[in-house]
Amino acid sequence: MEPAVSRGKKAAAAGLFFALVFIPAFIFSGLIVGREISRLYAMVWAIFSGAAAFAIAYTGKVSFYRRLFFSVSALAFLVHFKLGLLDKVLAPTCFVSTPYCHIAMAPYFLGYLYQQYLALMSSGWRLWGPLTLGAAWLFVTLALGRGWCSWACFYGGIDDGLSGAVRRPLVGTGRLRFLRDLPAALLIFFLLVSLANMAPEYCLWLCPFKFTGAFLSRGGGERAAQYGLMGLSLAALVAGPLLTGKRTFCSYLCPFAAWQALWGRLNPFRLTGDAAKCSACGTCERACPMNAVSFAPGARPEILAYCNLCGQCLDACPSAALRYTVFGLELPSFGGAAGALVSVKYFYVFSALTLSSAFSSLWAPAALRDMVKLIFG
Amino acid sequence: MPALFSEGFLLGLSTGFYCLAACLPLLAPYLLAEGKMAWDFNFGIFLQFTGGRFAAYLIFAVLASVLGEAGRYALPAWALPAAMAACGFLMVFLAVFRLAGRDSPCLLKSDLNPWFHRIPLLLGFVTGINVCPPFAAGLIRLLQLADVPKGLVYFIGFFSATTLFTAPVMLGTPWLGRRASEIGRLTLLLAGLWYLALGLKFFF
Ligand code: SF4
Ligand code: SF4
Repeated sequence: MEPAVSRGKKAAAAGLFFALVFIPAFIFSGLIVGREISRLYAMVWAIFSGAAAFAIAYTGKVSFYRRLFFSVSALAFLVHFKLGLLDKVLAPTCFVSTPYCHIAMAPYFLGYLYQQYLALMSSGWRLWGPLTLGAAWLFVTLALGRGWCSWACFYGGIDDGLSGAVRRPLVGTGRLRFLRDLPAALLIFFLLVSLANMAPEYCLWLCPFKFTGAFLSRGGGERAAQYGLMGLSLAALVAGPLLTGKRTFCSYLCPFAAWQALWGRLNPFRLTGDAAKCSACGTCERACPMNAVSFAPGARPEILAYCNLCGQCLDACPSAALRYTVFGLELPSFGGAAGALVSVKYFYVFSALTLSSAFSSLWAPAALRDMVKLIFG
Repeated sequence: MPALFSEGFLLGLSTGFYCLAACLPLLAPYLLAEGKMAWDFNFGIFLQFTGGRFAAYLIFAVLASVLGEAGRYALPAWALPAAMAACGFLMVFLAVFRLAGRDSPCLLKSDLNPWFHRIPLLLGFVTGINVCPPFAAGLIRLLQLADVPKGLVYFIGFFSATTLFTAPVMLGTPWLGRRASEIGRLTLLLAGLWYLALGLKFFF
C-alpha cells in the first residue's frame, strides 16, 4: 500500500482483498470438507486465509503473514495426519490415508510414466491415475509455480516457520554453498534409481516423516541405514532451520524444490531486481531463507532458479529494489488504495493464497475439528 | 546364423526398456558430470560405455556357451557385487576429486591418469554382467545352443537392439553447461555411493 493513503482507505481496500480471498476459499473448502464434517470448520479456515490476505494488503508486507498462514497450515497437517497415525486420540476423520505426497511424486515421475505405458499396452487405457495426478500438478504449476514451496507445501511450512523463529542464527550456511545444487542431483538420482528398481526410493530412504513401517525394509543393516537417513532428513527439517535461520531441508534435501525450480518457469510470476535502485548491500542474500540469492560483495545480487517467491527479501530490501513481475514486466499502476490491488504483487498473493487455502482444506479444517474434539470431548 | 542374430535382436527389442533402466543410473550421472558441449566427446564416452557392455556380453556368451549347464550362472556370484562396488568407489572418487576442484591435495590431481578416462568402460561392463530378466532369457537360449560362435551371434543381436534404447541418452548432452556438470558431479557422487553400498552389501 502507498504510505500517503489514509488508514481508513487502506482498511477498506484490505477488506476488499479479504473478501476476494475469503469467498473462493470458503467455496472450495466447503466443497472439500462438506460431506464429512461441519462447514463451520471450513468457514473458520477460510476466515483465517482471508485474514492473512487482509493483513498483507493492509501492511503491504507479504512474507510475515504468508509465513504465518504457511506454518499454521503445516502444523495442521502434522496434527491431523501424522500425529493421527501415531495416536488414535487424534484419529483422522475426513481422510483415512494421507494425500499423495508431492515430494515423492517428482522423483518417481519416470516410474509413473512407465506404469501408464504398461496400462496402455495392456489395454487398461482407463487407468489414468498417474496422468490425473500429472494434470493436477500441471494446474498447480501454472497457477502457483515455485510459490508452491512458500505457500502450500506441508513440509515447507515447518521448515519456513522454524527458520523464521530464529533471531540470531548460531551457524552460517556459507560453507554449504557447494551443496546448493544437491536437490537437483537428488532429483536426477532418485528419478533414475526409482525407475531402475520400480520403487519409490525417495520414500524409502529420505522421507523425514516415516511414522509407519510401510516404507522401511524388514530389518538389519538396511533398516538401520534408513533410520539414519531419516534422522538426517528430520534434523535438516527441524534442527537445521533453528540453528541457521535458513530452510535447510528445502534448500539442500528436497527433490521437489528442484523439480519446481525447473517447471515453475511455466508460471508467469517472477521476482525481479531493479539494478538502478539496488545498492548492493547484500541484505537480500542474508534475508533469503532458501539460499536462493547469489551475491558477491560490490556486485548486484543474482536470483537463482530456486527462489520460491516467498517475498522475504522483497520486504527486507532497504532500497525497494525487488518486486513481483509477470515475466519481468510490471502492470501499469493505478492510484489509490484499491488501485494498488491491481498490481502483479496482489494478483500473485491472490492466486497463491486462494489455491493454498483450497489445497490445505484437505486437512486444516479437520485438524481444527480434532482439536475441538480433544479439548471439549 | 542371421536367424540367430535376428532372434537375439528381437529379444533385445522387446525388452530394451529393462536395459535402459539398468544402464541409466550409471551412464547418465557420468555423462552429466564429465560430458562436454562437444557432441563427439560425449559420443566417445557413450562408445566406451557401450564397448564395456559389449565386452561383458561376449565374455558372458562364451562362458555360458562353454558351460552349457542349465540354470547355472556363468560368472561367480561375487563378480557382479565386486564390480559394482569397484565401480561405485571409482564414481565416488571421481566425484569427490571433481567437487574438490583442481587445487585439491589429491594424489590424482591432474587429469593425466588414463584410468579416469576409462571409467565408462567399467560402468558399461558392470551393466553388461548384470543379470536382468531379458538377459536371463537370453542365457537360457544360450545354454540350449551350447555353441560358442552361435552364442556370440545371438548376443551381438541382443546387444545391437538394446543399444537402440540406451543411445537416446546422448541427445541432450550437447546442451550441457557448467551448471549441469556441477549438478552431474553431485549426482555422480550419490550414484557412486549407491552402487558402492549395493556392492558391499553382498559381502557383509
Ligand atoms: S522444497 Fe520441498 S519440502 Fe520445501 S516447500 Fe518445496 S516441496 Fe516442500
Ligand atoms: S530470493 Fe527472495 S523471494 Fe526468492 S526465496 Fe529468497 S527471499 Fe524468497
